[in-house]
Amino acid sequence: MEKESTTPPNWTTSSFGMEIQPNELNCAAADQLPNSFFNPNWDNSVDHSDPFDSSLSSIVSSPAASNAAAIPGSNCLMITELIGRLGSICNSGEISPQTYIAGNTTTNNNSTNTSGYNTPLNSPPKLNLSIMDSQIRGRLPINGHQVPFHPTLVPFSADPGFAERAARFSCFGNTNCIGLNETDLPYGVMPGMEYGKMSNASSNQQFKLVGSQMGVKENNKQEGNVAVKRKFIRLPRPSTPENAELGDSREGSSVSEQIPGGEVSTKVDSDANARKRKSISRGKAKETPSTPSAKDHKTAVDNEESNAKRIRQDEDAGNEKDSAKAKAKADSKAAGDGNQKQSKDNSKPSEPPKDYIHVRARRGQATDSHSLAERVRREKISERMKFLQDLVPGCNKVTGKAVMLDEIINYVQSLQRQVEFLSMKLATVNPRMDFNMEAQLSKDIFQSRGALPPTLYPLDSAMRSIPYGYQPQQMQALHGGIANETENRFPVNSLAALSRNPSVQLPPMDGFGEAVPQVSAPWEDDLQSVVQMGFGQNQQQSFHGSGAAAQMKVEL
Amino acid sequence: MASSISETNFEESKRIKRRKTGDELRDPDTIDHTRWRSESEQRIYSTKLVEAIRQVRRNSSPENKVSSGRDIRDAADGVLAVAAKGRTRWSRAILASRLRLRLAHNNMKHKKARVAKVTGSIRSKMPEKKRSIPALQRKAKVLSRLVPGCRKVSFPNLLEETTDYISALEMQVRAMAALTELLTGSPVDRLTSTSDS
Repeated sequence: MEKESTTPPNWTTSSFGMEIQPNELNCAAADQLPNSFFNPNWDNSVDHSDPFDSSLSSIVSSPAASNAAAIPGSNCLMITELIGRLGSICNSGEISPQTYIAGNTTTNNNSTNTSGYNTPLNSPPKLNLSIMDSQIRGRLPINGHQVPFHPTLVPFSADPGFAERAARFSCFGNTNCIGLNETDLPYGVMPGMEYGKMSNASSNQQFKLVGSQMGVKENNKQEGNVAVKRKFIRLPRPSTPENAELGDSREGSSVSEQIPGGEVSTKVDSDANARKRKSISRGKAKETPSTPSAKDHKTAVDNEESNAKRIRQDEDAGNEKDSAKAKAKADSKAAGDGNQKQSKDNSKPSEPPKDYIHVRARRGQATDSHSLAERVRREKISERMKFLQDLVPGCNKVTGKAVMLDEIINYVQSLQRQVEFLSMKLATVNPRMDFNMEAQLSKDIFQSRGALPPTLYPLDSAMRSIPYGYQPQQMQALHGGIANETENRFPVNSLAALSRNPSVQLPPMDGFGEAVPQVSAPWEDDLQSVVQMGFGQNQQQSFHGSGAAAQMKVEL
Repeated sequence: MASSISETNFEESKRIKRRKTGDELRDPDTIDHTRWRSESEQRIYSTKLVEAIRQVRRNSSPENKVSSGRDIRDAADGVLAVAAKGRTRWSRAILASRLRLRLAHNNMKHKKARVAKVTGSIRSKMPEKKRSIPALQRKAKVLSRLVPGCRKVSFPNLLEETTDYISALEMQVRAMAALTELLTGSPVDRLTSTSDS
């Protein structure tokens, strides 16, 4: 027979239907029973029934038998009585399959029966229904079957506190509740939602770990808050298995199965799965991740919702990650961070302008990690080229790296050539060095310095061109410093310089002797003449070498 | 004239300060580009330069009467590198090469072998290679050869080094020019006239 051939759950359900139907038949509701084939099977099925069913059937049959010849009214009463008995025996377990039948089966009588049942038993059994449904689906590793009537569920139904717990489970399966009963399910949902909030609060600590990584470094607080909230909402589901053993496994299984089935991209999949796994492992729940009881139509709505949520969460999380990573990367100036994801959301209008420390994708620009690094590099290069442009004379009009580089190369070469030339000159110019002369020079320098403070003051401004410390401070120090003719090493650098200057200046002093009137010693004359000459040349700016340098300096 | 010069000096010192703060704000790694322009820097450099030249004279006089220009130039470069306080790559390269030279020289001396003075000049004289490499890279290579110790440096760092090197070279030129001017008492003609904008 059909009923016998079906699986036990179906058979049990059908047995219920069968048990109900004879009453209806007795109630003269036979007109509503097109499934007359139940009747002949009834006896057979009852014979094959398991003890519970037999007991049930006995219960059923007893009133039915008693009312076999009863009038329809009494039969209806019998029906109600039977309903009550059924409800008492197995609170939700028995009714849920019936409602399941209501939702699933195509039998009219069943539907009518259940509709009849539903009206009086609307509110309480619905709650139990959801609970039982979740329980059944979570506990029983039966794939894709209709809700099996499990004998072990009977004692659960008797437990009053179980209903509360079951109601709580329904929260993270609140979507399941929604999908479960297409009709309104206030009882199932409301406590679920409340618990959801509670679980949010309780699991906040867990998620702070997760969320902090994402949310701390963010500048886009909106996204961060939203994403963090979403994380909180999402993740309680797997975390609540700590309290109950059903939800996580069921939820995880359903969700994880739905994710690949959904339209989510692979990246989001991997992210979601990774995060899911993370959260699940954090929750330390007993998992049956392989429970493939997910293909229920009831979870269809749940699928879409969770998928949508997950997609959004992942995107936000990804964006948060990107922004955090971009920030971190930019902060650390690690160019070329290839792991950076695209932070498109961060390049939206609410973005701060780019500066040197933080690298962000500017509006309307590519946000690829490579392009960001490229841009950083380019900015560095252009900044340095600007410095060089200021440094190298005659490059203000030049634009472009190539030409600038040409100019720079030329300039560096010219400078080096000058140094070489000057060094050659220095080498040729100073053939002799004498210690005595040096001492004398130093002495005379002091004396001459002392005599030339007024002339040297203007030289102070032209110190760049004559870098030998012809400054009044040094003069005065030297003036008071040197006493003997021996080579003195003054602690001050400038003094030492001045002391050595005369030694360097010794050789050419012959050429200078004539020009200086006041000098007593030849090197004094030399020094004075040079000083005056340098000063005069600076004033007249006719001195090509240092004068040009001074000019350069001045103009720069 | 003196007033104008003093004004420019004052302005320049202001500018130096401004630029210094600007540089500090940007990047702690950025070398201060204006340090070669400061008077103190020039003073320090000139001091050391003179001493170095004297040293060269002393060292060279027993061996050969005339100190070659190259020695002087090396001495000048060494002093410049010292003045750089080792913050830049080129200065470190110069010092390293000189140190290597000296070590080699001393070793050779001890072993009583005459070592031809290796200039160790990293600078090439006139690089005029023309290859089919992209122009920018070619020029970057040339520049890297010009700046001592910057052969394998990345392009942005190369530019940084070049900036500092140019400033240091300018100061060196000024110092040596003034020195020769003092010594010779005649104006020193620049080899190449820089066209001022």
